[in-house]
Amino acid sequence: VSDEIDDLAVRVSAARAAVEARGETFYPGASRIHLAAFPPKERWDSWVELDSRAWPRRVERRSMLVPTTCFNCESACGLLAYVDPDALTVRRFEGNPEHPGSRGRNCAKGPATLNQITDPDRILYPLRRVGERGGGQWERVSWDEALDDIAGRIRKAIVEQRPNEIMYHVGRPGEDGFTERVLAAWGVDGHNSHTNICSSGGRAGYHWWMGLDRPSPDHANADVILLISAHLESGHYFNPHAQRVMEAKARGAKLIVLDTRLSNTATHADHWLAPVPGSEPALMLAIARHLIVTGAYDAGFVRRWWNWQEYLACERPDVEPTFEAFQAALVALYDGFTFAYAAAESGVAEETIAEVARLVAGAGTRLSTHTWRSAAAGNLGGWQVSRCLFLLNALTGAVSTPGGVAPNAWNKFVPRPIHVPPHPETWNDLTWPDEYPLAMNEMSFLLPHLLREGRGRLDVYFTRVYNPVWTNPDGFAWLEALTDETRIGLHVAMTPTWSETAFFADYVLPMGHSSERHDVHSYEQYDGQWIGFRQPVLRAARERLGETITDTRQVNPGEVWEENECWIDLSWRIDPDGALGIRRHFESRARPGERLGIDEYYGWLFANSVPGLPERAAEEGLEPLAFMRRYGAFEIARTIGQVFAQPVPEAELADVATDATGRVYARSERPVSPNVVPVATPDSDAEGRRAVGVEVDGAVLRGFPTPSGRLEFYSRTLAEWGWRDQALPAYPRSHVHPAELAPGEMTLISTFRVPVQIHTRSANAKWLDEIAHTNPIWIHPADAAALGDVRTGELVRITSEIGHLVARAWVTEGIRPGVVACSHHMGRWRPGEQGQRAAMASVALGHEGSEWSMRRLAGVAPFRSTDPDTSRIWWTDVGVHQNLIFPVHPDPISGMHCWHQAVRVTRAGPGDAAGDIAVDAERSRAAFDAWIALTRPASAHSPNGERRPYWLLRPLKPARHAYRLP
Amino acid sequence: VTRPALPPVIDEGTLVPRWGKVVDQTTCIGCHACTTACRSENAVPLGVTRTYVKAVEVGAFPEVRRSFQVTRCNQCDDAPCVAICPTSAMHRRPDGIVDFDKASCIGCKACMAACPYDAIFINPDDHGAEKCNLCAHRLDVGLEPACVTVCPVGAIIVGDLDDPTSRIAGVVAETPVAVRRPEKGTRPKLFYRGATRATLDPLAARRPDGGLYMWSEQGPGVRSGHPDHGGSSAAALLAYDVVHRAPWDWRVSLYTWTKGISSGAYLVAVLLALLGQLDWSGAIVRRDAPLVALALLALTGAILVADLEHPARAHYLLLRPQWRSWLVRGAVVLAGFGAALALHLAGAARVTAPFGVPLGVLTAVYTGFLFRQARGRDLWQSPLLAPHLLVQAIVAGAAALLPLAAAHGSGVRPLAVTLAVASAAHLALVAAELLAPHGTGHVALATFELARGRYAWPFLAGLLLVAVALAAPWIDAWAAPAALLGLLAYEHAHVQAAQAVPLA
Repeated sequence: VSDEIDDLAVRVSAARAAVEARGETFYPGASRIHLAAFPPKERWDSWVELDSRAWPRRVERRSMLVPTTCFNCESACGLLAYVDPDALTVRRFEGNPEHPGSRGRNCAKGPATLNQITDPDRILYPLRRVGERGGGQWERVSWDEALDDIAGRIRKAIVEQRPNEIMYHVGRPGEDGFTERVLAAWGVDGHNSHTNICSSGGRAGYHWWMGLDRPSPDHANADVILLISAHLESGHYFNPHAQRVMEAKARGAKLIVLDTRLSNTATHADHWLAPVPGSEPALMLAIARHLIVTGAYDAGFVRRWWNWQEYLACERPDVEPTFEAFQAALVALYDGFTFAYAAAESGVAEETIAEVARLVAGAGTRLSTHTWRSAAAGNLGGWQVSRCLFLLNALTGAVSTPGGVAPNAWNKFVPRPIHVPPHPETWNDLTWPDEYPLAMNEMSFLLPHLLREGRGRLDVYFTRVYNPVWTNPDGFAWLEALTDETRIGLHVAMTPTWSETAFFADYVLPMGHSSERHDVHSYEQYDGQWIGFRQPVLRAARERLGETITDTRQVNPGEVWEENECWIDLSWRIDPDGALGIRRHFESRARPGERLGIDEYYGWLFANSVPGLPERAAEEGLEPLAFMRRYGAFEIARTIGQVFAQPVPEAELADVATDATGRVYARSERPVSPNVVPVATPDSDAEGRRAVGVEVDGAVLRGFPTPSGRLEFYSRTLAEWGWRDQALPAYPRSHVHPAELAPGEMTLISTFRVPVQIHTRSANAKWLDEIAHTNPIWIHPADAAALGDVRTGELVRITSEIGHLVARAWVTEGIRPGVVACSHHMGRWRPGEQGQRAAMASVALGHEGSEWSMRRLAGVAPFRSTDPDTSRIWWTDVGVHQNLIFPVHPDPISGMHCWHQAVRVTRAGPGDAAGDIAVDAERSRAAFDAWIALTRPASAHSPNGERRPYWLLRPLKPARHAYRLP
Repeated sequence: VTRPALPPVIDEGTLVPRWGKVVDQTTCIGCHACTTACRSENAVPLGVTRTYVKAVEVGAFPEVRRSFQVTRCNQCDDAPCVAICPTSAMHRRPDGIVDFDKASCIGCKACMAACPYDAIFINPDDHGAEKCNLCAHRLDVGLEPACVTVCPVGAIIVGDLDDPTSRIAGVVAETPVAVRRPEKGTRPKLFYRGATRATLDPLAARRPDGGLYMWSEQGPGVRSGHPDHGGSSAAALLAYDVVHRAPWDWRVSLYTWTKGISSGAYLVAVLLALLGQLDWSGAIVRRDAPLVALALLALTGAILVADLEHPARAHYLLLRPQWRSWLVRGAVVLAGFGAALALHLAGAARVTAPFGVPLGVLTAVYTGFLFRQARGRDLWQSPLLAPHLLVQAIVAGAAALLPLAAAHGSGVRPLAVTLAVASAAHLALVAAELLAPHGTGHVALATFELARGRYAWPFLAGLLLVAVALAAPWIDAWAAPAALLGLLAYEHAHVQAAQAVPLA
């Protein structure tokens, strides 16, 4: 390359022409010049670049470019690995220009993937504990030894009818359904997720409206974007959404952001509202009231698509069942939510609220709104945040419109896999206890308390990319559970990197990072559908070089594996002769009786379940799998639009019955779709007809997957299951509402993320650790002054319901007075030798009676390793592990842990040191009891004798009969 | 006579672009993707950086915002790093990229001292100076720089500033853009759109207390932001920055000092001889002074070489000279001065003096020109710097010779008087520097660090010790160690204080 043309300028200007003349792809970049953003895909087999380190000598370097998918946050952005074809190592990661969601761009965490795979502290071999659990002693074992032991225990539990003693607990799944199907094949209701400490609150609000639990905002085409989130810098889907939000802003769209602290997102807002925590629904309802009383809502849309008839029938039998009567009722319902009221509740200026309301009113159907965790994850009743936010879209008709908000399932594609095992026949009360019939997800964070109460035990407990000891509230309760072998018989940590939870495992099984494993996924990042493929890039590279790879361990460092192959292997060990009926779900379809291989699994999936992919691959003379190995992503459809308004095909309309509210049932088979994205399953009518649509102005349209088939302004389910008071979008009083706070208490916001870290998964990325490694307490200068002129860097003590922590202060104008905040991710610790030395402090754990404590022995220091950079570590402080001092706060409806804390902030005492933690387990148990008392259990409130409304989404949904209450 | 019209610019000339960059802070989301993409592309170690995202909070709740600035080399058309580089390792390509060549770099760190933006660092892996070079190795194969490609919001663009049809030229021409520290006259080709003064001016934002930023430690070295504690919280608050280091450490102060003794010993002896105060044939003038000067000159050379990251490449100074650099000129001066001293010792003292004295003066003062060439350091831009170095050399020379004179029992009086007078001049110059109105905020801050801040201790000790030397006519040789130690302490404080001002 370097010799083709000598003159610089000629070289550069000729580049584009030369690329195109060769029939190669030119990827334009942001600069809009003749420089490309990426090498042409036609040259990805052998791209010649100049070595940056040898520069200005022109040392040519050949790389093979292999796509994969980032496994840091949920966004699943495309990556392109530059593989050295001689050394067979990864040189670096860039974005993948063929990825429709991320479009070649990444956040800081994408390139830092390189750190994660070369991390000198990573786990390379299966380990088994020696001595007591948590004692810090390990021995290397073979995969065979480990898996035989684990499989033997699982088999025994299954054979002895103890299916509920097998549990798989996942943090970031990073895939769409593979592992759920493994559990279904085993016949266990053993799926546990992190979702109730994450997004259940956000999900629930959407789910009660639409029957689908995630929003898909079309930011790019919006005129007004309203975020109760920090999605320009963190969260789902940070990079893909940030691109589109900023595009819209460049077009002139207005950005409104609600956040109590100054986020990077807030800083870009045309209107930043920093409300009193928990008052967000009041603000949304004030905007809604403005739309209602000024008539600035889409009455036609509301009439056609809200279940207002059901509302009137159930709750207002006193009025005429007309839309006009409903409109009048609507005015009355929200009459109290004046701007003045919202201002008083939120502390946001009345005129600001009015201005924002006018903006929303003027957006028409180009109103893009989004919330995910944030306030919905912070407050008791936080799920009403998303319910009240989506109310604005439901009022303006900005639902699945260009610039509006669609339900996620229509912008997501989950290809049907080669085997689909049946629903499990069992119900697990440890994850779905009686008290939480409406929980969006498993009551994961209550597990130690439920085990303590003797509601069950676990024989085999897998944690996978999950760190409950650190991430969940009440971590000491997790320590108690994990160190008690009568409660948890065997703990298997499947993880690429050490975590506070893996320290307390019996087996640590090393799993690959994003460039070392297979997964397929699809996320709603714009109005379209795509799938992304994660793959072990060295496997793909060596296959391109003509090698045959049959096991990802052949290409991964050490004996690092990937879950998918591991699950297949483990399942065969559980059922070696197929007698349990498990093995058949892991057998080859091409060669029955033989083990299913990864190539066949994905080859079948791409060939049979992804519309358009085989044809697109054929254009390049490739098999679908080879196409995905080469390009890493495929866009299936674009501009999906209003699926709910599509007519139901005649073929489905046999033996039609329509109920009083226009729900249409028919006797026809559900059309088989290659897209198996989870959607809610509204019940059939009494005669067994399937809910197929809704009647709207005389036509039968698809509608929403809700019982009524419409957008459920009124949730009859909530009303029938004991929560009539919460059946409408409403403003519940948060547990940290000012009226709930004792004198001198403040609210602590503990959930905010920084742009360069992702929970506890990125501490193994030195470039990210260098940028962000500590989490001081953000406090407003007025509050700092009231504490006796606390200055930045000085120690403060934060006392919660169950204990206290000591941390440094960050005095900033970027937080509402009366509120303190502490970022997520930091405060990592290690009690022994193992761990992430660049980001974990050495600590001493203390336990006496019900008192737990932690004291920092040493911060981070430089150390020698295979990476010279570890001797250049200059930071020492890694912050405080705040989640330890939080008791469990399960929302009685959504099940979401309500993260906000009422705390007392004081100057640290003379004996206090940074990072100190003290917790009283008795008080944490009392908090658990107090919050359990808020629930309305199924056994007392179920209207139909079932444990849970069957129509609601549920991971690993069991068979219907398992829903019966005992 | 009418001059012929200038010939049209030839084709080849118009084809050479003038690369520039725009960072759009109105869209930058502060995600640091550019930082890690750059580290990945260029294998940049921890602790140093080619680019980072500075953050400043401005305002008071709820009218507060966080401002970002993607901070890196400015690709100056008049680049101080290029002018000062002794070996052309830092060079400006015809297309305007300020590039570097590790193979030529001797690791003198002059480019780092010169850069008004603190954009250059020594890579601990290869000990060469480096910085953002617009990913020239990518540009040259037709790819955008790594930071441009990774940016989620397309906030960074590159292009030909001379091509009016380019996007970058349009942005620069049609939207309000700013450059960092335009007063430095470096003509940056990195333009910021929507950046605020709070980030552009390194002293506009307050440095947080407690060694902390919003989610990181400030780390060792030169801490950014203005250290003033008097401002209200409503002022700008630096919320994120990286570790910065002073390029020149104690070795530079030490070499300035040894060089001062060397040139001073010779100058004092010869000048006093010329004035008839010392005897040409006496031991001091004939032997001791040139020997002291030669020894200290050798020591100076050794320290200079020891200060290089690549000591084995010291000869590049003379083999690959870049004549604008005062390091090169200084090397020639030192060599010439050494030769003069040798001649002097060989017995040609009187013949040598006419060029030996100017070389001695140049040896003493050229560091002033070198420091001035470090355009980033405002404290060193003082016109008094060169004369002050000469005065210091006289103090040092007189002090060095005084004990020898005492031992010989001759020439004590003139040396003691010289020492006292020169010390008084030194103190007067220091006072003038302190009391003169500070031209820039940087000078004010450097002066603060010098007189009352981090370097107050060596500074005050240095002044007190030199003040002792005022009594030289009465205490004779006892004044010498005080003067020498005092000068060293002062020099150290002065060199470090100038570098204690954050530039980024």
